[in-house]
Amino acid sequence: MTALPLWVRRPSGERVGWLRTVDHKEIGVLYIGMGVAFFAIGGLEALLLRAQLATPESRLVDPSTYDQAFTVHGVTMILLAVVPLLVGFANYLVPLMIGAPDVAYPRLNALSFWLSLVGGIVLYFSFLAGGAPDTGWFSYAPLAERSFAPGLGVDYYIVGLAVNGAGTIIGAINLTVTILLMRCPGMAISRVPLFVWMTLVTSILILGAYPALTAALVMLFVDRQLGGHFFDPAGGGQVVLWQHLFWFFGHPEVYIMVLPAMGMISEIIPVFSGKPIFGYRFVAGSSVAIAFLSFGVWAHHMFAVGLGDTENAIFAATSMLIAVPTGVKIFNWIATMVGGRIRLTTAMLFAVGFIAMFVIGGLSGVSLAVVPIDLAVTDSYYVVAHLHYVLFGGTMLGIFAGAYYWFPKMTGRLLDEGLGKLHFWATFAGFNLTFLPQHWLGAVGMPRRVFTYAASTGWGPLNLVSTIGAAILAVAMVIFAVNLVRSLRSGEVAGDDPWDGFTLEWATSSPPPAENFPTIPAVTGRRPLWDRKHPDQRDRA
Amino acid sequence: MSASVAVGRGPSIAHDRVLLGVAVFIASESVFFLAIVLAYLAYRDAGLATAKANLDIPRTAIFSIALFSSSATMALAARHGSRSWLVATIALGAVFLAGQGSEYARLLASGIGPGRELFGTTFFTLTGLHGVHVLGGLVALFALLAAHIRRRSALRPVAFEAVGLYWHFVDAVWVVVFSVVYLGTLL
Amino acid sequence: MQAYPPIVRPPAEAIGTLALIVGAIALLIFIGVEGALIYAVWRYRASRSSTEQPARFERNTRVEIAWTALPALVLALVFVLMLGAMAEIGGAGVEPGLRVRVVGHQWWWEFGYGAVTTANELHIPVETAVELDLTSTDVIHSFWVPELGGKSDMLPGTTNHLRLFARRAGVYEGQCSEFCGIEHAWMRIRVVAESQADFDRWLAAQGQSAAARGGDGERIFLANICVNCHTIRGTTAAGAAGPDLTHAGARATLGAGVLPNDVARMRAWIADPQQYKPGALMPRVPLSDPELDALAAYLVSLK
Ligand code: HEA
Ligand code: HEA
Ligand code: HEC
Ligand code: CUA
Ligand SMILES: [Cu+2]
Repeated sequence: MTALPLWVRRPSGERVGWLRTVDHKEIGVLYIGMGVAFFAIGGLEALLLRAQLATPESRLVDPSTYDQAFTVHGVTMILLAVVPLLVGFANYLVPLMIGAPDVAYPRLNALSFWLSLVGGIVLYFSFLAGGAPDTGWFSYAPLAERSFAPGLGVDYYIVGLAVNGAGTIIGAINLTVTILLMRCPGMAISRVPLFVWMTLVTSILILGAYPALTAALVMLFVDRQLGGHFFDPAGGGQVVLWQHLFWFFGHPEVYIMVLPAMGMISEIIPVFSGKPIFGYRFVAGSSVAIAFLSFGVWAHHMFAVGLGDTENAIFAATSMLIAVPTGVKIFNWIATMVGGRIRLTTAMLFAVGFIAMFVIGGLSGVSLAVVPIDLAVTDSYYVVAHLHYVLFGGTMLGIFAGAYYWFPKMTGRLLDEGLGKLHFWATFAGFNLTFLPQHWLGAVGMPRRVFTYAASTGWGPLNLVSTIGAAILAVAMVIFAVNLVRSLRSGEVAGDDPWDGFTLEWATSSPPPAENFPTIPAVTGRRPLWDRKHPDQRDRA
Repeated sequence: MSASVAVGRGPSIAHDRVLLGVAVFIASESVFFLAIVLAYLAYRDAGLATAKANLDIPRTAIFSIALFSSSATMALAARHGSRSWLVATIALGAVFLAGQGSEYARLLASGIGPGRELFGTTFFTLTGLHGVHVLGGLVALFALLAAHIRRRSALRPVAFEAVGLYWHFVDAVWVVVFSVVYLGTLL
Repeated sequence: MQAYPPIVRPPAEAIGTLALIVGAIALLIFIGVEGALIYAVWRYRASRSSTEQPARFERNTRVEIAWTALPALVLALVFVLMLGAMAEIGGAGVEPGLRVRVVGHQWWWEFGYGAVTTANELHIPVETAVELDLTSTDVIHSFWVPELGGKSDMLPGTTNHLRLFARRAGVYEGQCSEFCGIEHAWMRIRVVAESQADFDRWLAAQGQSAAARGGDGERIFLANICVNCHTIRGTTAAGAAGPDLTHAGARATLGAGVLPNDVARMRAWIADPQQYKPGALMPRVPLSDPELDALAAYLVSLK
């Protein structure tokens, strides 16, 4: 058996220097590794939450631990797991897909990764320094002001997020320039794979959204450390300013977290349907529409704040409007399958699972955009259910699909399909068992972020079901971990093009050489590899 | 070097990796400043009286002129790949920062700091963040100067263009900040 | 007090109807989309059509326009329904029959009826439009009693308004729903909806000052730091950091729902509030057993 190609040696035989590498593929793997590690940590925190909530008036953990756990769980999953995972895939795949030897600024790329990681480490360092932040992932003022959160937790939150965000912004600049300027000959912007399109849109969203978060963090820092009054009502400040700034970042952030996953399944579904994507222009264009709209919906997180009926109605309208371009994507994916020859591999199963679950989360999202309904269920478990349906049912299933699909390219080895299917079905069952009941819990009155609930509320049984679901989900994740480790050691050798793929990453070896392609490919259509394999049936585009 | 760059025809943002990167970065930075400026405006009324009583417009205007003219020297430096114009730019930037420093010292001495009313909070945050950007620009200018001294002929003209682009941005932000914070008190 | 005109529904009912309609629409879309998805996967799976070549179609502008326009139309309908419901739950020009001032504190509620102040238990008359004026003294809280209406955040420095309406007498439970710190989970609300006559009687009783008892309990209360934080009208205790205790015995729970209210529990609470509500802003006051007994009996007697 040859040595592990992935983390020990480069295809050239030389050892990988993980600390010093500037190769986009290796940095991509570093990002993915960071995401996997933090996903496991965030998942364990989630299990702690679920364990505490399994029974009413439980005393398993004290309230302060619980508050830290959900705050760090949210921040970890969003900024330290999902975003790095998606950025990691983008780093690895974008240059390969556009036929480029590397990203535009390889050294800056390494900087982005290390900043993102250091930001995460700073956040976690708070545990050693007297307590993690415990004010929720959106850390509303004035609760996050020093008078109500005197510990250092929130300061670690500020510095950690600012550093992590700087890394993400630099990464987005890099990807934007790479996609705009480094496409190989013939790779017009109307021909780039949809994953690349969505990465471009995501990068632009990052560039527009993250600075608002940084600005808010700076202001909070001034308040906490220099005695400022930005969010201090006693000093004339307004507490809603924080909310405006945070959600101006926070809503685009949710699309930052779903568009690349949508890009992944836009690659996977056509390949396993044996057909080109249906409505390429609409799938790409709808992303632009989503990006545009997503800067105009932030106040739907603030319907209960009392902004006024007119403001609320306007933000409700823009929020509902986002369902239209999102629906366009869903319908095009289904139309891609229609008339195809569908190979239900694990990757395809996860892609189909993405659509199935994301629709549920999307529909609950639209119901939240309806102001009176939001007033009934905002800040309740209904919202928790919504966000996990889109983020786990959507993004994470998309990432799993991408993992099964591209793992062979990254490592030269296939993941096991048998374990993969087990992973899928266990995830599917565990996920729905965990989060479906939360819709009811929210509707009947269970607020989010409560470390316990009175037995008299009757919320016990559904919470128990939810906790059992989380345990099944944990088993599913262990199955995935086993699959990863086993395949890295002794997985079936994949070959360059195990799925009969369409796009350029499959035109080079697995894993690809340092320069990606021995010769720069020339492209005449949207499916360059298909064209090469079927010269008689070339795409017209 | 200076001869090799044709007048008025530098590398273009749409095709040069470095310039496009700086441009994209500037776009992102604009959102950052926009957020801070909006916060300043949101609290403007609450701080207006203090601002009127304490800000020294003429003095700051003079230091602002130093910063504004540094944009011109930067353009000349980029056009000619010239070391002396670069030094002039650095000097003007430093004069501006010194002016800011003395303004801060004066305000702090009269008891106005970031913790003193909304005016102090917003004023020091906004001008301080701008100052940090000027400082960053100065570091970039120094690096450029050092590179220019070390390998005079190898330096690509785009390095000048890129640092220049950023410097003009820092300058443009000050136009906004000066108008909002200082000239705004005249309204 | 003026009753709510029958044509206008309670906010909770207006929201319920709207949620039912939106839910039905969502269910239809859900069935349609998931049905199409499952059908496509099943019908075109490779094992079934192993001999067929996959089709090659990849665009159809008309279809795209249709599935862009159709959802937009559905959403336009939802939007219009939403506007109607918003006007309705906002009160739609109907004068409220009762106005209550609600102040959120970490982690208890202050309710004010004109000059009468009480805590944690909100009494309202049935069949009456009640308007709450909501604010907070510290962080953001949110008022939510699911069966009576939507919720509204309570922000320091701002007053928000929320309409409640109870058709039937009874006890309605709710709780603070904006995360407000360590005891957010135990910031529960009890709303007692009762007939107008019962309500008037209750309010009159709440308006009374506590008659001086002159007993040990009263003496101990007034001699300890309790008075720094609590008010008992009719005595010298006039603190404002904790709930008004003038009628502490008349409430069903202690500590915003964390314990039922009786002498034993009252004694336990005073002896060590941190054991039941860790982090709550009431300290443990060192008192002897007999002192605790007397204090608990006294407070529960304040009906
Ligand atoms: C990947 C992340 C993601 C995505 C994609 C979405 C998608 C959407 N979200 Fe969600 N949302 C979150 C992540 C996400 N959300 C998170 C994390 C929170 C909580 C933050 C916190 O408080 O902690 C949140 C909270 C949240 C709220 C605030 C709730 C509250 O706190 O009170 C609202 C309110 O409007 C909302 C709305 C929407 C809408 C309208 C969409 C739409 O984009 C959905 C569009 C998709 C569809 C509708 C399905 C497919 C479409 C069709 C099949 C076409 C036909 C459909 C119709 C005609 C309806 N979301
Ligand atoms: C992408 C984002 C994401 C993801 C994937 C998840 C995943 C999960 N989340 Fe999370 N969640 C959020 C984002 C996410 N969450 C956010 C933003 C909030 C709001 C926070 C706030 O209010 O501030 C939240 C809040 C939240 C709550 C509400 C807390 C509260 O309001 O009090 C709950 C409760 O059930 C919960 C549960 C879960 C569960 C059970 C999972 C499961 O899916 C987790 C499954 C994963 C595992 C079980 C890990 C398995 C790993 C192992 C078994 C270890 C293996 C070991 C090695 C490989 C070393 N989440
Ligand atoms: C530092 C302030 C402080 C002091 C001193 C204090 N309390 Fe309290 N008390 C509070 C606060 C705050 C609450 C609300 C706790 C909560 O529910 O979170 C409270 C709640 C109570 C309650 C429950 C009220 C209800 O309706 O839920 C009782 C009874 C009570 N205190 C009695 C006492 C007695 C008796 C003493 C003196 C021995 C005392 N308190 C001293 C602040 C104080
Ligand atoms: Cu008050 Cu939560
Ligand atoms: Cu949103």
